Order: sequence, then structure tokens, then C-alpha cells
Amino acid sequence: MKIAFSYPPIINSDGQKAMVSQNRNVQFFMKPTYLLPIIQGQAATWLRDMGYNVFWDDGNSQLKTFDCWYLDLIEASPDVIVFESTTPVMKFYWNIVNKIKSDLPHCTVIMTGYHSMRKPQETLRSSSTDVVLRSNHIDFVLQKLIPYIDENSQWRENCPIEGLVIRVDENNFHDTGNFKQIETLDLSPDVDRDLVQWKNYAYENGNFLQTPGTYATSVVRDCMFGKCSFCRYNGPDLTFSMRSVQKSLDEYQKLIEDYGAREIFDDSGVWYRGAEAREFAQGIIDRGLNKKDCYFGFNTRFGYLEEDTIALLAKANFRFVLVGLEAADEETLHRLNKGYGPKDSEQNLKLYTKYGLFPHLTIMVGYFWQTREQLNTTIDTVKRFMFEGLARTLQVTICTPIDFTPYHQECIDQKMLLTNDYDDFDMSKLIVKTPIPHNDYYDAIRNIYGIAFHPKFIFKQIQFLFQFKKRDWQFLFTYGIRAIRRVRQHIFNLTKQQSNKVTTSITPRSNQQR
Amino acid sequence: MLHKVLEIRNLTATAYALRIERKKVSFKAGQCFNLGLKNSGVNREYSIYSGENDSCLEFLVKEIKEGIVSPSLRQVTLGEEINLHGPYGSFVIDPVKIKQVKFYFICTGTGIAPFHSFIRSHPNLDYQIINGIRFLNERYDYDEYHPLKITTCISREKWAGFHGRLTNYLPEIPIDTKSIFYICGNQKMIQEAYVILRKKKVSGNHIFTEAFF
Repeated sequence: MKIAFSYPPIINSDGQKAMVSQNRNVQFFMKPTYLLPIIQGQAATWLRDMGYNVFWDDGNSQLKTFDCWYLDLIEASPDVIVFESTTPVMKFYWNIVNKIKSDLPHCTVIMTGYHSMRKPQETLRSSSTDVVLRSNHIDFVLQKLIPYIDENSQWRENCPIEGLVIRVDENNFHDTGNFKQIETLDLSPDVDRDLVQWKNYAYENGNFLQTPGTYATSVVRDCMFGKCSFCRYNGPDLTFSMRSVQKSLDEYQKLIEDYGAREIFDDSGVWYRGAEAREFAQGIIDRGLNKKDCYFGFNTRFGYLEEDTIALLAKANFRFVLVGLEAADEETLHRLNKGYGPKDSEQNLKLYTKYGLFPHLTIMVGYFWQTREQLNTTIDTVKRFMFEGLARTLQVTICTPIDFTPYHQECIDQKMLLTNDYDDFDMSKLIVKTPIPHNDYYDAIRNIYGIAFHPKFIFKQIQFLFQFKKRDWQFLFTYGIRAIRRVRQHIFNLTKQQSNKVTTSITPRSNQQR
Repeated sequence: MLHKVLEIRNLTATAYALRIERKKVSFKAGQCFNLGLKNSGVNREYSIYSGENDSCLEFLVKEIKEGIVSPSLRQVTLGEEINLHGPYGSFVIDPVKIKQVKFYFICTGTGIAPFHSFIRSHPNLDYQIINGIRFLNERYDYDEYHPLKITTCISREKWAGFHGRLTNYLPEIPIDTKSIFYICGNQKMIQEAYVILRKKKVSGNHIFTEAFF
């Protein structure tokens, strides 16, 4: 069997590409960032190791046009296609599945992703999709499912593998129940970097100070906290799983010594903490990897790392710490189930910067309850942190209810949504009712991104230079130039007024010319 | 939010019960809270141990030797304030099901905490606890459970009852597959217990898990 892991180029009316960004959110960008889909990469590697013919088909990172991508896929004629979707691109995927099933009727189409995972019947009714995975452990499910399909002609009716909703016929679906991750995460292989053409993802990523950079096989799936209401890594359908430290260290060593990686980021919802974090950092030091000119980074939460661990991470050449500062007022943090208070963020940031780490704040605005006062608290707090050097970079997005997270469900239940068109959920505009005008939130975003050009922020970065650390010089001269381009893109993205619809054309095969 | 510590009950060398003022906090049995020392900027998640209608909040805490929060909380003086955030989580009981089915609570060590909260919150609950511990002295607050409704599996100390892991005990007992199963404790036990229950034809939709880490 030939199995394709496919990511079609999706272009909107502004000519922007849909890009998967941090934590698998999708946004549209003119100048994209290419993020390696880790679990899909593991699934692909595992199936290849089992002897299947795997076609890694990321049309975005491979810089294909949509038509070229589509033609190549049809020509490859896979037996199975695996897609990953999320709310803002669901309609596109339903259309493309129908088109593919028309051109490749023998092909089995499998849909993964958190939206379809939570509403599998919707996808089965809205498209010709054959199977919807109800699990985020795509690798563990596919390594059972693919052989079962391969060996059982009656697989649709009889498949006993948990975590699936299977189309039996046009109107009948077979639900195999909840999936529980019961096997150790270590069983899933490291992503085969050659298979996924890792260099396509190694340069265009705003998180990398040095390149080529890459994403590690995630050590935690998906998040050990798993309670933040806006986050897709939340819900009774998810189980927290952790990779062993030694297996992770082995991969880091290989990435550095065999592949020449100069920056490695782990996009787990939240990285190790406590004993595991210290064991990992010590392992990096013991293996001498901290002296191989490679920076390391991860996502964490305020309240998870204490001083001794942070100090050890710094010694191990960790640099980039991505941490959520979704708000700065107690009420919003409580409503989001963030699990920390406003004072915790400053305390944590002081420790990160004391040891030379580069905190990157991920900020959100536009919650349906967010008042002007709460919004101003966020802006003022972020400014103060950036001007004081307590954080080095940031990104700010509109909180968009997606993938039937608790926040999304809350918006539905309280009738706060302004639209039901999934195309509108692309984080480019507010889609919930708010107590103050939407323009106020867009102004806040411009205000926050404007920090990058503020004399106080620039002066602070110049001050850092006098610590005479290579990473500070790199930050100002390398990252600074790159950041200007990205900040302008974010401001354009988040403040444009015209509506955007996905307009990628799907031309019948017989009319294609290359 | 800051809450005063009311009492620390030392249960064993590695476990204690931390009782704090409740204030106006409401929660569902089975949920968890983040606890941390005041002004420390560090916290950890702990399942609620007390009942929904109890006058205070109580947590059953395992002291991790190389940990940061659990040893520190144990050293807090009475009256001192600690940080509390929450409640969080969906490891809760559906109240509609309480009168309909029997509940099996499978746990190791301090994983019994949410089940203690369930039982205190729902006195009419039809339940059976299967508790895996290492030593006899880890039978925390056993006077609060009906003696016939708790089975203890002790792995490192011989006694009159079952000697061994609960994952050795579980395959040997009859299970009503219409029951609902909650499993809480260390991840490996959860994985093994889940497989055992599935082999006994318990539906995956009837099994809920919460891993302590």
C-alpha cells in the first residue's frame, strides 16, 4: 500500500497561505512559516518501517502551487491519504476530499485533527471522508489501522481498533469508541528527517535564531496540564503521555551530530518540568551537546519551572522559552483556567532572564468578556515586561474559538459567536461579541507589536549587547531584521477589514497543464 | 488566591493531608487545584480530597523527595497563606449516573484522593475501591470507607489480605461491564488496568482515567 501524508496549499483571497503555527493553530500568511508536523512525521516513519510505501506530501514546505500539488498527488495514486485539518480549513478539506474521491475512487481518505476528532460525524456527513480519527495519537492508531485495512476486505464493518469513526456506506458509520493511549510513547519512532525532507522546515521559522533549525519529536503529548479552556489540548478525550528523557536525548544528539541542527525546538504543549527537566538538561551537558553551537527551546507554563531547573537549562544552552501570557488580569486568567495569577508571570520571567533565557510571550486578546480595563492591563503589562527586558519577543493573536475547545463550546452555548462559517475562524478577525468595539482589540494588537519599534525596547536590546553574549548580538542583528518583516505581516493579518474566503480552485484533471 | 493553612496531617513519611480554608471556592469532586507557596511563582496540580460540601479544602499530597512544591507545602506553618488556583478538570462523576450504575475506583497511592472526594460528596454512591499500595501504613483515612467497599492490594508487605499489585488482582475478579470505571494514579498502572478492563469487555466509553505525574 502507498500512504500519503498530505498538506495541500490553501490560498485565500489575499494571496496568503494557510500555515500551521504554534500548537497547530492555522493562520494565513504571505510569508509563511513551515512547521514540521511531528506526530504525522512519526506516523509516516512508523508505517515506512513496517514496510509501507510512504509519500510525504507537504505541498506548502515543498513550495508547490495548489494545481501542481494536486496533480502530483493524483499521479502518485496513493491507496490511503491522511489529512490534518482544523476549524478554519474544514470546508476546504471537505471539498478537496470530495474532489480526490472523484478522481481516485479507490483511495481511502483518513481525516485527523482536533476539529474532526471532536465532531467526526460532521466530517463524514459533509464529505466523502472514509475514516475520522478520534485520537490525537495518530501514529499509534495508524500503525494498527493501516495493516487492518490492508488485510481485511470487510474492514469498514469489522474494524475493532478503538478511536475511529468509519464510513460503512453513504449514511452508516461505525464508531469504535474512545481511544486511550495505553502504550508507552517511546514505542513511536523518532521522526525520520530524510523521509519528511526536514530541510524544507529548517529555515523559514521565526522561532529560530540559528539555522538550520528543526523541531524535536515532542516529549509530551499533548500537555500535562491540559486545562486551559481555549486550548485544543484539553478534554476528557485526551490523555497525557510523556517520552523518556534518554530517548529524547538520543534524538537531540543525532540531530546535532548527524544533521547539523543549530536550533532545536520542542513544540509539546508544555515541556518537561521538575526532575525530568533537570535530567534532560544534565544529559545535554554530560553529552557535551551544550557546546555544539546549538540552541534549544520549548513551551512551558508560568509556575512550572523553578530557579534550580532554569539555571541548569541555561547551562545546557537552552535559549528560547515560549510561554503563554494570555492575559494579565485575575478574572481572565481564572476564566481561562490558566492555573496561575498575575504576579506569577513576572516572577517567572525574572528567573528566565536572570539566567539568560529568551522568553517569548504568546498573548491573546478579544475574549468575549474582555473589558477595556482588562485589555489595557494586558497592554500595560506586556509593555512593561518588554521594556524591562523580562521578555525578548512576543506574538499576539485574537483568541479564536476553534476545534470545540471548552472556550469554543462556551461561545456556542452563550451565543457569543458572530458567525458559523468555519472559514471565518482563521484568527484574522474577531468572531465573538465583545463589550467594546472590535477595533479596540485590533488597535491593541498594533500597539503591542509596535513595541518592537519603541526606543525603550530597542535601547534594552542594545543594553543586552554589553553582556557580550553571542546570542544577544545574534538577536539584535539577525533576528531583528527578520522580526521586522514578520511583525509587519502580523499587523496586516490581524487588522485587515475585508473578509477572506478560501478561493483555491480545483480544476478537473483533464484540463490540467503543467 | 491566598488561603490559610488550617492543618497538616502527617500520614506517613511520604504523604500528608493539607487542609486549607475554603473561602467561597466551589468545585466538583474529582477536580484538581494548583497549589504553591505564596510569592514563589511555582505551583503543582493536586486533586481535591475533601467533599463538595465540606467546610474546608483538603488535599492528599505525596511528598516528592527531589520536588519543589510538595516538600515546601509540608513545612508551611499553620495560619500561613498559600496560593490556590482552580478548580480544573473533568475527572468528575455524572450525577445522573449515580443512581443508575455501580462505580469502580481503581487507584494507587495518593491516587485515591479524587475517590475520597467522590465518596464524601455522594454518600449514596454504589462504589467499590480497588486500592494498590506498597505498605500497610498507606491506607489513608480508611475509617471513612465502608470496609466491604474497599479492597486493598499491598505489594511490598505481607498481610492478611491480597499481597501483590492491583494489576494482578484485577484480572481475577468478576466485573460487571455495565459499571463505570475510574482509574487514578501512576501512568503505568493506568495503562495496565485499562488493558485488563478492555479484555474483560468493558467498553472504553466506560473508563475514565487521570494520571498523576
